Amino acid sequence: MDYKIQDIEKTFEGKITENLGNNEYVIKINDNEHKLKIINMNSKGIEFILDQQYHKAKYLEQSTSEINLVIDNVPITLKIHSHFDEVVYKKTGGGGTGDAQLSLKSQIPGKVVSIAASNGDSVKKGDVVCTLESMKMQVAIKAHKDGSIKSLKIKEGSTVAKGDVIADIE
Amino acid sequence: MIEKVLIANRGEIALRVIRTCKALGIKTVAVYSDEDYNSLHVKQATEAYHIGEAAPAKSYLNQEKILEVMLSSGADAVHPGYGFLSENDDFARLCEKNKINFIGPSADSMNLCGDKMKCKAAMLKAEVPTVPGSPGLVKDTDDAEKIANEIGYPVMLKSVYGGGGRGIRIVTNDKELREGYESVTGESIAAVGKSAILVEKFLEKTRHIEYQMARDTHGNAVHIFERECSIQRRNQKLIEQTPSPVVDEEIRARVGEIVCRAAEAVDYTNLGTAEFLRADNGEFYFIEINARLQVEHPITELVSGLDLVKLQIDIANGESIPFKQSDLKMNGYAIECRINAEDTFLDFAPSTGPVPDVTIPAGPSVRCDTYLYSGCTVSPFYDSLMAKLCTWGQTFEESRIRMLSALNDFYIQGVETSIPLYKTILNSDEYKNGDLSTDFLKRYGMIDRLTKDLKIEKEEKSEAALAAAIIHSEYFKSRIKDRPSNNSNWKNKLD
Repeated sequence: MDYKIQDIEKTFEGKITENLGNNEYVIKINDNEHKLKIINMNSKGIEFILDQQYHKAKYLEQSTSEINLVIDNVPITLKIHSHFDEVVYKKTGGGGTGDAQLSLKSQIPGKVVSIAASNGDSVKKGDVVCTLESMKMQVAIKAHKDGSIKSLKIKEGSTVAKGDVIADIE
Repeated sequence: MIEKVLIANRGEIALRVIRTCKALGIKTVAVYSDEDYNSLHVKQATEAYHIGEAAPAKSYLNQEKILEVMLSSGADAVHPGYGFLSENDDFARLCEKNKINFIGPSADSMNLCGDKMKCKAAMLKAEVPTVPGSPGLVKDTDDAEKIANEIGYPVMLKSVYGGGGRGIRIVTNDKELREGYESVTGESIAAVGKSAILVEKFLEKTRHIEYQMARDTHGNAVHIFERECSIQRRNQKLIEQTPSPVVDEEIRARVGEIVCRAAEAVDYTNLGTAEFLRADNGEFYFIEINARLQVEHPITELVSGLDLVKLQIDIANGESIPFKQSDLKMNGYAIECRINAEDTFLDFAPSTGPVPDVTIPAGPSVRCDTYLYSGCTVSPFYDSLMAKLCTWGQTFEESRIRMLSALNDFYIQGVETSIPLYKTILNSDEYKNGDLSTDFLKRYGMIDRLTKDLKIEKEEKSEAALAAAIIHSEYFKSRIKDRPSNNSNWKNKLD
């Protein structure tokens, strides 16, 4: 399978090529073979020795197309690139993300102290939609794209969690 | 003599105070809000009392409730820590009235330190140099212009009702001054209904250098060296160190003497901090006294060998400071990094939530004061400081390398932290060369450098990450089974 690591422009191809028994495997990454020995493993994490170096990883989230993990304290997101996806994207003409996303989500948890826009208002990318308070600080939540506000989901005084939808912008 | 101390605080500073009390055989009383049932300070104190809801105003700032616990628990003293009620002179006065020993300055002295105008006047009288500017409020625009021309542009127009960057304008000529005067007045009236403006010389590329001071009730005053706290964001300190790279023996003694004079000028007792701005030309200007124990006090402890909380308790007991200025010798170099729960790339926005797993660094001359433990929660109700990581070295380089290695070992799962930024700063040539200023982050583009460093770190770990991901996907196809370690003690290591 092919993997792409977020923020790095490289694509890696990796697979297990041999099971040596006793929890040792040969892994091929691009053109190089590495020996891997599992020390400790369950669904949440793994400790292993890759060639001669110890590593510890925790698996945070995974989907069919993405794995989030923390390896040796470094958080890394791997996109699993199956070539099938590419074909689908090409046919539907999609493939872009970001601006296509409707929902403005809060990236922090907090209490809504003020709302600067109402349903139907047109906003430009970067306009303040609301202000949240968290840890004694006020943080402005700004529109992620141009458009008009649809279904504002928050009220003054309510609390939002990280990832909650503030409003849809169409 | 103090026998039982109530700690009117939470988090790492409550733990810090409890530690010294334990060492001195003093009983401790913790207070906690709804949010802190599971916090370490509750578990480590001799007794713990619930005082209210999560919001600070309903718990840690609730003077009446805290007084009630002081009286019912039989505490004979209170340690306010930093933040919350620590610089509230009404609270200090309330304690005085109820014959509870407030471990800090008197209410009167605290009041004087907290009033910018009165404090500045007291300092001028004691010939402590302050930032050049208007001796008090300016009457009007003409008055402001006259003073600005006397001290020279650029100057700062400051509303006394401002704070946190509000109500401040930097102006470089008469025209800007007149415009700025109008807008600062307007902002201040809009915010609090009144306006009062000061004019001060604006100093460029300044360093924030502060002195630890101590003064007992018998009038003996000492300084316990300086700390340089120039690396800041939004006027909040991030990294502190002692000694300062620009303070030598002669400057230390000369400014230190001014510090003792400043303490006397406001009849300060107990421990406090005198803050200075150091201009690029080497001049020191007094800014204010922080009438409490500072967050960054551990680095002073590391180079002086003193327990500053013990010294606070001794002074509160009416004892004389048990050493003279000449007895104090500065030993080695210390650095502190404030480990905050914040997202550097979201303009330092808070990051909160459960922390399922933590690894706290250790090693020779590594000190970590923290409330974190695996399974704790970082609350959105209180400030973002999770831990204070300090390292000591015989040389600056040794303390810096130890800090980098401790930062690498520090793992906090679940929240964003300032750790990656600190690694970038500590690795920079500017930091290594001691080229510090309060605008350090912006001046040297540290956030952009951090982005590059993170990319390099990811590249270095890419093969190992890939290997872990491949094994993971095999595991889910059940081609690889759980492999608990043979040593049963290790069994739950990853759970």
